[in-house]
Amino acid sequence: MSPGSPWGNEASMNPVKLTVQWSVYVKWVLIATLIMGGGTDGLAQESVAVRASLVSGALPVDDPNAAAWNGAAPAVFPMSPQVHWPDRIQEVTVQDLTVRALHDGTQVAFLLEYNDPTEDPDDAAAIEFMVGDKKAHFAHGQPMLLVDGGPVNIWFWKHKDNKGVDMWAKGFGTLRPHSHQDVKAKGEYANGKWRVVFSRSLVTEHPDEDMQVTPGRFVNIAFAVWDGRKDATGQLIEKGSQKAVSSWWYFRAEPPPDYSGYLYAGVAAVLALGFQFVLIRKLKEGQSA
Amino acid sequence: MGHSLIRPIIIMGVMYAVLKFVLPNIPGSAALPSSLILLYLLLTLSGIIIFETVSAESKDAFWGPMQKFLTGDNIGGLKPFRYGILIFFPLLVGWQTYNATAPSGQPPTESRVIHPAPPGEYTGLVNPVPKTPENIMQGKGFYAAFCSPCHGANFDGKGPAARGYNPPPANFADPTTIAMLQESYLFWRIKKGGVGLPIEGMPWKSAMPRWELELPDEWIWKIIMGEYDGAHQSPRTWE
Repeated sequence: MSPGSPWGNEASMNPVKLTVQWSVYVKWVLIATLIMGGGTDGLAQESVAVRASLVSGALPVDDPNAAAWNGAAPAVFPMSPQVHWPDRIQEVTVQDLTVRALHDGTQVAFLLEYNDPTEDPDDAAAIEFMVGDKKAHFAHGQPMLLVDGGPVNIWFWKHKDNKGVDMWAKGFGTLRPHSHQDVKAKGEYANGKWRVVFSRSLVTEHPDEDMQVTPGRFVNIAFAVWDGRKDATGQLIEKGSQKAVSSWWYFRAEPPPDYSGYLYAGVAAVLALGFQFVLIRKLKEGQSA
Repeated sequence: MGHSLIRPIIIMGVMYAVLKFVLPNIPGSAALPSSLILLYLLLTLSGIIIFETVSAESKDAFWGPMQKFLTGDNIGGLKPFRYGILIFFPLLVGWQTYNATAPSGQPPTESRVIHPAPPGEYTGLVNPVPKTPENIMQGKGFYAAFCSPCHGANFDGKGPAARGYNPPPANFADPTTIAMLQESYLFWRIKKGGVGLPIEGMPWKSAMPRWELELPDEWIWKIIMGEYDGAHQSPRTWE
């Protein structure tokens, strides 16, 4: 150290100078914090993803009104008339869809809620998933011209049948029920609102046809709803591709709590503390030498 | 001597302010990613360290205060600050490690190219339909029938069918949409629709119909004229 160092003479202890140094160092620490913090990551947006909370005990697969659903975070998705395919529609009843999900490590259940002024036998709802790693167009996995797309897995429910139908499609006109039926569904109508529960095991024996749920991994999800009302001539207004649809969003079954991050952080902090200790000790040895 | 530390701190602070707040506001520039800012600051710090340690005197002047601060010898009223730093540093390392290793609960990030390059056969196509008031009027009529449910009667992307779609329908009144594009580009996008986008355009998310299956080319060219006229925009040209 040079003999003229301000840290080693009386002048450096002048209160005015100290104030200046303090303010400089505080600013420096703030700047370092900002840099190390990596900027401002965007906060999670609600209604970008449906998250299935992990619960213990039986899932309410047959009860859309079960109290257990109150513990599931709702995600709200806007709906549009289906316009992509030529047999389109310009106006639909359902404008928004609220979705909740739960899983118990072996099964997953979704609750779809939406307003519908009338209870009709042809009221229907569906959930659509991408299958595997290939991207699929949100309109029934419609073939894309420059991209090799994959199929979609569709879970369908209609009021008059009140059961789930497990289906597959790779473009409009290709929709067909699976030979295996793994999906359960049940709807209940009350006070101008439909509540429909879909459920299935997280994984199936048909990964090429069914969406597979791996806790912690996001998969693409979309929705469709048909209001089964009829026009003056007795014809269904919403039917087939004439329906309310959503865009692709995300679904994730939440993984069990993972505390390893805290362990790694603790180890790193202890190592940093040790580094400081060794460094200061070496510096002191150097000073005394 | 106190200047030996204050000066590098000021330089680093000014450098950070320039990178974070000044550069992004220069026309044609954009906000720098935090990783790039960190890299530039590390380069600046390296330069400062090299400069301040070229001679034995400057080296002592540079490192001396830091050594005294760390060892706590004769630093008087700065002792509480020293303890604060010694506690803060391990906590900061732990926090950064947690952020780096904790599993992310966020959906995958998506980066969509809004105007991807069209296939070569569409580049430079010229609208073959004469730009007459009648043709523009007819194009607006086709637009009202086929496009306005999503793109809006006011060409603003706020049609009654738009609300559920992500990405939202283009707002033609926005100067960053059709005003930046040539008519040939619109012809490609209308003709092939969302499913005709390349992978960087995320074709699986676009609701845009493949209008070539429903409309003749002449109607599409007229729709393009109607769109530009209705949105009070002009096609981009090479002049």
